[in-house]
Amino acid sequence: MAIVFEKVSFAYDERSLWRHSALEDVSLELETGVFAAVAGTTGSGKSTLLQHFNGILKPTGGKVRVLDFILQAEGKQPPLRELRRRVGLVFQFPEQQLFEDTVEKDLCFGPLNFGMGLEEARERASQALALVGLDDSFLPRNPFHLSGGQMRKVAIASVLAMDPDIIALDEPTATLDPQSRAELAGLLSRLQREQGKTVIVVTHRMEEMLPYVDTWIVMKGGTKVFQGSPAELVRESGRLERECGLAVPACITTWNQVAARFGLEHEEPCLTPEKLAERVVRLLEGHPQGNKREGGG
Amino acid sequence: MRNKLLFGRSIDTGSWVHGVDPRAKLTGMVLYLVAIVIVGSWPALGIAAAFSLAYMTATRIPLKYFAKAAKPLWVLMVFIFAVQCITVKQGEELWRLGSWALYTGGLSSGLIAASRMALLVSFTAILTFTTTPGLLNQGLAGVLAPLRRIGISAQRLTLMMSIALRFIPTILDETHKILKAQAARGADLKEMPWKEKGKMLVSLLVPVTVSAFRRAEELVLSMESRGYVIGAPRSEYHLLSWRLRDTCFVLSYVVLVAVVLSFRWI
Repeated sequence: MAIVFEKVSFAYDERSLWRHSALEDVSLELETGVFAAVAGTTGSGKSTLLQHFNGILKPTGGKVRVLDFILQAEGKQPPLRELRRRVGLVFQFPEQQLFEDTVEKDLCFGPLNFGMGLEEARERASQALALVGLDDSFLPRNPFHLSGGQMRKVAIASVLAMDPDIIALDEPTATLDPQSRAELAGLLSRLQREQGKTVIVVTHRMEEMLPYVDTWIVMKGGTKVFQGSPAELVRESGRLERECGLAVPACITTWNQVAARFGLEHEEPCLTPEKLAERVVRLLEGHPQGNKREGGG
Repeated sequence: MRNKLLFGRSIDTGSWVHGVDPRAKLTGMVLYLVAIVIVGSWPALGIAAAFSLAYMTATRIPLKYFAKAAKPLWVLMVFIFAVQCITVKQGEELWRLGSWALYTGGLSSGLIAASRMALLVSFTAILTFTTTPGLLNQGLAGVLAPLRRIGISAQRLTLMMSIALRFIPTILDETHKILKAQAARGADLKEMPWKEKGKMLVSLLVPVTVSAFRRAEELVLSMESRGYVIGAPRSEYHLLSWRLRDTCFVLSYVVLVAVVLSFRWI
């Protein structure tokens, strides 16, 4: 198991009048090498959850186990440097994540902190930049003069440059143009499939991550209300939409309507237009009855 | 970091002190400052302390918050105490170290000076704890209004003040976020030796200053886009009304000043 949460609670400003609870009794398990996504409405505790993965936030109750590190409310905190090297976290707002005066320095910051030589760090910086689709001409530029989308890409590259085992990203596709969004989702999936990285993404646009994700987590009001495979998500989407105000993508809703009509609830869901079209063709060929019903309706 | 800084945060408990007109509170605080400056003996200090405690309890805010508000200034208090101990040579000799000696008079005036400081800071916290920044500004504008006669715009001053106050928590938050981002990439302030810590904090100055300027520019744009013109006549959302309670509030401070003053001559 890469990540195990045991009844984790977290409250901001604990022990003060401004205390407010952000996570309550969250238990979850994520295997090494999964592509997980966390969904939920704003304020449901997604970002707070994510910041527990590398010990930026320390639980105020319960126990977090990430790789072989244990973080818990009681007791002294172990040194977290090694944990941070192995778990890369991309924050929600890239402009809050960049702090150096050139892109190159920012990209090298992580690798240098983890004891890499300057030459190697530069190499890594350039590679990471290429991964997110930016060329070396960006290296000497000031990160604060980049556009929102470019800043986002640099922020992601700065974490990729550390070559972490677990990559956690907080709404990485926000402020990106549609093409970059698709490219990023593809890149994350490639890192997961080819390099065996564990990827966890907080997302508001479920449809973007849908083709790649193998474990979905849905949060509501600081608690976990769902964890399961895409097929399970599709099956429970109605409930989640009603109870948690989850923005269920149209492809899931459509499939559920098709499935309900033709009794396909127990099949692997077809969530792309192509797959659904093929399924419908097979339906028409294989089940003349279905054909008639469709014609009638 | 955020929960350690109490300055400029209001805590709403709905007590009657919260409802006092901000102008009355500001006047009261100035009078309290006068009283504290006059305090020079133990009985006077005792009365001022009792007075402070009574008001602090009346706010229904846990007393530890007032203590916390005074905490950041402990170095200053220790310094004041030490200076008094070293320089005042009155009363009996208590303890001798070479050519320097500690006298009872020095010890006593050192303690009084340090307690005055503590009282002042924790008591003036009542103002910020019980008044929202908006109301505080309105009160300030009210108190400063007479300055218009000598050509100073109170509105301009209070706008500056409110923006400065408003920005303290924002900039702290921003700093906190950058620290988080640096920690996430292997530079955790908590795990560094002191020398590295210093370097790290200095390197923070640049991004924090840059972001403060960026925020200021955004603020200007957003205010102007909503039609804010400095000096233009503006109506107030909340109208302040002076009541009997406010007069009594101010009077209680006048009495405090008078009582403390009388100790000076007795």
